[in-house]
Amino acid sequence: MPVRAPITAERRQGIILVAFLVIQTLAAVFYIGDVFGDLAGHGVSAHLVVEALVTLALVLAIGFGAIRLRRTLDVLRAQEAALEVARGALGEVIDGQFGAWGLTPAERDVGMLALKGLDVAEIAEVRGAAQGTVRAQLTRIYSKAGVSGRAQFAAFFVEDLMGAGLHAKPAE
Amino acid sequence: MPAPLMSPAGGPPALWDPIIRLSHWALAIVVLVNAVLTRGGSALHVWVGWIGLGVLALRLIWGLVGTREARFSSFPPQPLAALRHLGELARGTPRQYGSHNPAGAMMVYALWGAMAVVMATGLVMTGGKTPVQVSQTQSVIESGDWTTLAIDDESGDDDSETDAGGKQGGLAHLAEELHEVAANLILFLAFLHVAGVFVESRVMRKNLTAAMLTGRSDNRGA
Repeated sequence: MPVRAPITAERRQGIILVAFLVIQTLAAVFYIGDVFGDLAGHGVSAHLVVEALVTLALVLAIGFGAIRLRRTLDVLRAQEAALEVARGALGEVIDGQFGAWGLTPAERDVGMLALKGLDVAEIAEVRGAAQGTVRAQLTRIYSKAGVSGRAQFAAFFVEDLMGAGLHAKPAE
Repeated sequence: MPAPLMSPAGGPPALWDPIIRLSHWALAIVVLVNAVLTRGGSALHVWVGWIGLGVLALRLIWGLVGTREARFSSFPPQPLAALRHLGELARGTPRQYGSHNPAGAMMVYALWGAMAVVMATGLVMTGGKTPVQVSQTQSVIESGDWTTLAIDDESGDDDSETDAGGKQGGLAHLAEELHEVAANLILFLAFLHVAGVFVESRVMRKNLTAAMLTGRSDNRGA
């Protein structure tokens, strides 16, 4: 199962900021057009001055909105990069543990696929092997790891991750 | 569903930010709609054009303050580098760039330039009227009141030989010609652009179209 980047507050904020920015820009363009149209038609008037001020405020808001969006996207990317590192770290942990259990290269592959949530038939298809072979390999992996079955096998690694994180869900 | 077998370098990097993607496809749709679907001079044509104007403006602002790959400084116009890139592409050894490659950058500026010309001349042709005003004028004319037309024709293209009228008629005519030529240029450039994306995707074994849709480029090879 691929690990998706979670929908964080930043991600939501990014989407909202993009939507706002688009609407603001379209509105600003029409407003600017209107201001120039009025200027050509009626010359300077109080109405026009107010309209021009509103337009100016809108344009400034767009500028600030764009900068805000840039920051949000930068934060999002930093989070994604951190997630990649965490993924890589987990991969290393799993690799090291597989080594400690003395799994063969074929067993490592099968074990990794099993951890990713593929069932026997899918693993067999991915590896181009018979299902019986995969089943036998899984049994050997479980016995080397000293676990009762797939659930305990997966839990072995999840447990490590949860060790410090049981107290609370992180606030978004 | 299973993830593709462990990509060694982890996931692909985030490539195109949302504003880049949105403006890219919005402008593509604007160009297609106004080139093919709407009638020139119709209120809808003007509406779509103004939306394009807004999107282009947003992209240009984003080019100043946006993400790293969105900023103009990440893809400066360098004609020589563009030619070099095309050469490398022909030999099958193109370099990777963090933003648009030099040839792509030239295409981006050419397309934006042509769009700016089309929008500017469009504004001249409609007398700078907003789509709302254009719609109003047209519905008034359709209701049978032609007086607005008479006022409009001061700047229109009838060949009344007063000096000012002649000049303005000439300007309107020039704008119309430019509008047409630049619009056709956009279509030609867009065709080249699509062909370039196709070739580059093939040579680099990267799905560039998917990258522009989802923001990510998956390496199909490794």
